[in-house]
Amino acid sequence: MAVDTAPAPALVDERAPARHLRAGIVYAVLGLLVILAAVALLGDRTTTVAFDKTLTDASWDAPTRTVVLILGVIATAAGAWMIAGLPQRWYKIAGAAAVAAVVLALLFWAYSQEGTVFRAESILAGALFLSMPYIFGALSGVVCERSGVINIGIEGQFLMGAFTGVLVANITGNIYAGLAGAMIAGSLSTMLLALLATRFQVNQVVVGVILNLLALGFTSFMYDQLKKADGLNDAFSVPVISWGPLADIPVIGPVLFQQKLFVYVGLVMVAVVWFLLYRTRWGLRTRAVGEHPAAADSMGVNVNRLRYWNVVAAGLLAGFGGAWFTLGNSLAFNKNMTAGLGFVALAVMIVGRWNPLGVLAGALIFGFTTQIARDLSAAGSSVPGEFLQMLPYAVTLVVVAGLIGRAKAPAADGVPYNPGDK
Amino acid sequence: MRLELKGLTKKFGSFTADDDIDLVVEPGQIHAVLGENGAGKSTLMNMLYGILQPTSGAILIDGEPVSFSGPGDAIAAGLGMVHQHFKLVGPFSVADNVQLGREHTQGMGVLSAKAARKAVRDVSEQYGLHLDPDAVCEDLPVGVQQRVEIVKALSGPKTELLILDEPTAVLTPAEITELLQIMRNLAAAGTSILFISHKLKEVQAVADTITVIRRGKVVAELEPTASESEMASAMVGRAVSLRVDKTDAEPGEPRLEVKDLTVVSDAGVKVLDGLELTVHSGEIVGLAGVEGNGQTELARSILGLLKPDSGHISIDGRDVHGRGVARRIADGLGYIPEDRGRDGLVAEFSVAENIVLNQYRDAPYAKGGVVDAGAVHKRAVDSIAEFDIRTQSPDESASSLSGGNQQKVIIAREFSRSRRFLVAAQPTRGVDVGASQFIHSRLVAERDTGTGVLLISSELDEIYALADRIAVIYNGRIVGEVDPDTPREVIGRLMVGADLAAAEPPPAAEAETADVEASSDTEASTDEDANGGDR
Repeated sequence: MAVDTAPAPALVDERAPARHLRAGIVYAVLGLLVILAAVALLGDRTTTVAFDKTLTDASWDAPTRTVVLILGVIATAAGAWMIAGLPQRWYKIAGAAAVAAVVLALLFWAYSQEGTVFRAESILAGALFLSMPYIFGALSGVVCERSGVINIGIEGQFLMGAFTGVLVANITGNIYAGLAGAMIAGSLSTMLLALLATRFQVNQVVVGVILNLLALGFTSFMYDQLKKADGLNDAFSVPVISWGPLADIPVIGPVLFQQKLFVYVGLVMVAVVWFLLYRTRWGLRTRAVGEHPAAADSMGVNVNRLRYWNVVAAGLLAGFGGAWFTLGNSLAFNKNMTAGLGFVALAVMIVGRWNPLGVLAGALIFGFTTQIARDLSAAGSSVPGEFLQMLPYAVTLVVVAGLIGRAKAPAADGVPYNPGDK
Repeated sequence: MRLELKGLTKKFGSFTADDDIDLVVEPGQIHAVLGENGAGKSTLMNMLYGILQPTSGAILIDGEPVSFSGPGDAIAAGLGMVHQHFKLVGPFSVADNVQLGREHTQGMGVLSAKAARKAVRDVSEQYGLHLDPDAVCEDLPVGVQQRVEIVKALSGPKTELLILDEPTAVLTPAEITELLQIMRNLAAAGTSILFISHKLKEVQAVADTITVIRRGKVVAELEPTASESEMASAMVGRAVSLRVDKTDAEPGEPRLEVKDLTVVSDAGVKVLDGLELTVHSGEIVGLAGVEGNGQTELARSILGLLKPDSGHISIDGRDVHGRGVARRIADGLGYIPEDRGRDGLVAEFSVAENIVLNQYRDAPYAKGGVVDAGAVHKRAVDSIAEFDIRTQSPDESASSLSGGNQQKVIIAREFSRSRRFLVAAQPTRGVDVGASQFIHSRLVAERDTGTGVLLISSELDEIYALADRIAVIYNGRIVGEVDPDTPREVIGRLMVGADLAAAEPPPAAEAETADVEASSDTEASTDEDANGGDR
């Protein structure tokens, strides 16, 4: 068979050194700025790192200027290497090293002020906890979009989950009933999207936007009504699960073995969704339907039914994520308390390339930077609070533009499927 | 399996796509359904496969009436279909594509990759269709993808009837020969085959019976011994000439010079790899090749839609580097795009607006930046008459026209302006016999006025009919430039990567390709149905 033996088209050689002028210059300049700042501004400051939960007495002082100088040199060297030309497969590694060096340098700098201590365990544990809404929202998005339905309404499902969770917990007096209520509320609010997207083939982005506004209006209205009665919007909190002696291991203990229920559910869901998506019949069909619905249809898969149920199931995840805002944080419901994090979760999904493991990585970056920003502003950093709030997004921008590149959505994402179309 | 269709009818609103179709496929028979683009072939197959529900009529399998509410029912009843546009999930492996919809599991819905692999190996060995179960489908050549489709269709619980919808549209001559042999083997093993095509030679080569459909009705039942012109006139409904009249070319100065052109795709593949090509005035150079070997990128680079990574393009003796598309068009470049839906027409615009799309800024169509509707209308009326565009009025939207008439709108736009060089990519794709005859004669007339023409076509018939010189493209390079009297199998071998010396025919090779070989090389290619225009 001639076709099998025919030579493949020529590839660009992966091992041959290639120049990356633009990226190289950016990294080199960033590195040089870091070096310059270290020399000019840092003086003889020190940065203190402490394990604040397990080894409360121990702390470690590092000379800020030296550390930042070394990190600056690393970033500059990576940039210079790119300008000089490096093998293709080293490009991303060099880029990651440069980004990590610059971020670490900024961290050391930020924590070098008098009176600030980098409380490693609190910060890392908080970061993991803060990444949860992104994980739930983005996983919900993955389940929808992998089957070809754009769910821009995650923000609205968060609100519905946050609100209903508190309300049900108050009425029943049981926090787990509240969690179940949050999931059902999230699911009910996606059902409309599912119906409109599959049965009526309406533009999914428009439906999503409308659902967000609907959820915002509904929960705000109900919030005003609940204020009039007592005992309907009181804070409930989920218990912290402590794993006994495991919780005393330095760093790992407080981060992994002394967290709230949400963290464990979130981490398990990452693994579960990954397994379902790549190792089961449901996953194979879901990916097929999102990539090439006509192909799935021609093999007897009911495209719109599968999409419908996927979207409804995704609502369960988003609703549970919504409960994080109230029950997870021991807060009562408040108007628009999700503050756009549902949209950030969508961004996390894209950063994570529609893959649960990528979602985990993206959510952790967001959670970490958010936690740093909170910690610094609480410690009274000289950097204005507005800048600190920009930090998560600025880091994401750098990561996406510099390291991840163009993400490819499922081919049929957002395209309604009408059997009989070709 | 004996399949019988009785009075099958499908209506879309007031439009009748299929009208009272009767057809019988005997066990182990290859039954060809022949018809033009829009004749209702695909609608018929979609009803048979459960994708569409018939308005009236019955489908009988072994004498029992059946009704399919979806493809799943049809598969369960023993039908397998190879679709014209492959239904393969690109990023999936061969095994995953084959098992989709009837997955091999180890309980609880967990997939068993091992069982899926084994199933593919078993079926491919049983029918002699070599396949690697772990290969990713989108990386496979088209011919191999089709083999995946066939294995997929044969992997049903009890596939006894195979529907092949225009299976040869995207294949090389060698792949076509191979496919026809596979079909014969399957039929010999007892599988019935329903073979949808508009390519007369292939139908002649394999079919046991031929049913011709025109405008949704069965118009003829023919034996495979029927001549090509007999089949063609049954398809079109009138006598057709299958030849293009043209004189010898008189090439003049170079109008297009492409030197060392290289384009690297996003994936790091050199889609054009040091391509060299020259086209002179007054000649048609046919660029033959399997689709996806760089033709699209070459055409887009010449127009200026794609920025080459290295190399030079000169049009009319001037290097066009740094010149935008509008400038190149103003300087006399004409372009018939391969995908008229995407690059050729603004579907929502009227016919008149589409006709002046490349001149709307110039007098007399615009005055002081304002479009003169009267002038546009007048020009459209003239073009509609000259190019025989069948439309109710110039104000109708381009999307309401049939594929052939849409193509005539593009031809009208490109040909009613003096130009120095023309790129015609797949100019008769999805166009019926009558319209392609017209387009071919216009291309020859264009050449005779001294324009250089680069004809890009995946239809060898079209290349043979028009080209004065044939260049064969493979993996982004020109692998051979030959005369138009070069035998078909030599070009066929060049198209899959053999070099020119190796491609010269050894005597024994004649028999191998004799199937698709026929006395007349200049059959007008009929339709390609690339846009799924069958309705």
